[in-house]
Amino acid sequence: MSGDLERRYRRVLRLLPGWYRARWQEDMVAAFLDSSLTGNPEADEYISRTAGPSGAEVASVAGLAVRLHLSGPRTSRRYAWGQAIRRAVLAVLLVHAVLAVDVLVFLVWSHRVVGWLPAPQANLLTAEPAGAWARVYCLVGVAWIVVFVALLLGRYHIARVLAALAIVPNLVALLQAHFTGVMPAAFGSWIFWVLLDLAPVLAMTAFHRDAPPAARWPWLLALPVGYLLVYGPLLALQATGNSAWLPDFSGLCCILVSLACLAHAPRTWSRPAAGTGLWSLTLALLAAVAAANRIVSLTGYLNDPHLINVSLAELLIVLAAAALVASDAARTQAVTPPPYPHAMA
Amino acid sequence: MTGQAFFVLTALADGPRHGYGIVGEVAELSQSRVKLKIGSLYGVLERLAAEGLIEADREEAHDGRLRRYYRLTEDGRRALAEEAELRAATARVVRARLGLTGPAAAGAPG
Repeated sequence: MSGDLERRYRRVLRLLPGWYRARWQEDMVAAFLDSSLTGNPEADEYISRTAGPSGAEVASVAGLAVRLHLSGPRTSRRYAWGQAIRRAVLAVLLVHAVLAVDVLVFLVWSHRVVGWLPAPQANLLTAEPAGAWARVYCLVGVAWIVVFVALLLGRYHIARVLAALAIVPNLVALLQAHFTGVMPAAFGSWIFWVLLDLAPVLAMTAFHRDAPPAARWPWLLALPVGYLLVYGPLLALQATGNSAWLPDFSGLCCILVSLACLAHAPRTWSRPAAGTGLWSLTLALLAAVAAANRIVSLTGYLNDPHLINVSLAELLIVLAAAALVASDAARTQAVTPPPYPHAMA
Repeated sequence: MTGQAFFVLTALADGPRHGYGIVGEVAELSQSRVKLKIGSLYGVLERLAAEGLIEADREEAHDGRLRRYYRLTEDGRRALAEEAELRAATARVVRARLGLTGPAAAGAPG
């Protein structure tokens, strides 16, 4: 019924830049038809056949087109950064949660809680903190898992409070080591705590009720999948006596972020103008954190040239991988679409 | 903040509205002095969305077309309140300088 009228209006909308039409055209057409049609089939039939956009309507579209062609895509830098920070926080919390799952798995395994499971090999067991600290670290591990899940369920307040509590034991341990003079690499340890504990907790303020909710199921699924994909190969290396190949935590972070960048980069090449590179911005942020972490952890290897070389290689790899997505990340800030409904983190 | 942006934000102050709903509400709020054309409306909506003052709320099917509803963000609510305060203060000053009497002038400064 509205076919002719709609076609005439769409013809006018061709004045607008393509990127703008991709975001707003259907909404504009719906609003225009709402304003033109009466709901009476006979009257609408007549209007559709005979009427078109008024001169004032065409002028308003033409004016908008001139402004948009001159100004280019509007920047939604704030939205892009908000989304990237939220995703980066979830990624860091995922790392905390995966580490916690590992602690819990080994706790269950080493204490033979599951009777039919054979005892782990001695070389798989690491030195655990004893006494009260062991219990505290177990609780902290569980807390990180709860924080991760609570954030995905939209329970932001609970997540923030628990996360703030979860970073306290590491802070206490750092202070204790600092004042007793047993801290091996003071600068590195503090930066490590700031980057992986304090910064994510502070950045959790990016989760608020106006923020689009995170894609719950993919992130939840990432917890068991991440654990199996990361710890499967690590356990295999350890169990087969190849522990020398095991990367340290900072190296592991560099490797994981590099792999994510490599997996994501082809998508940015195939649709460079789509402006949906929020993941590129997220990965660039994570690469910066991983690289910073790698650099400060070098201070612990100053007496071991081999480990220094390995660490520098990991650093170069993560920087090279980040370079693959850097241009898409920069472009994303300029063309990120406005937050439509059902936008997913 | 432009007059059109102020009216659009005000139209969304009491709940989400779709494009044509905003046009109608703005006309009512302004006592038909502001009649937004669709091109003008979407220029304003695009700018407000880019500034984080509004965001999409939901989509609903109507006569075979999808209507997208928009709502104020917290920043939008704050910006609208500040603008309303500024305009009210300006109006009080203007009324006082013009020597106009009445309830609106009663609270005028100085």
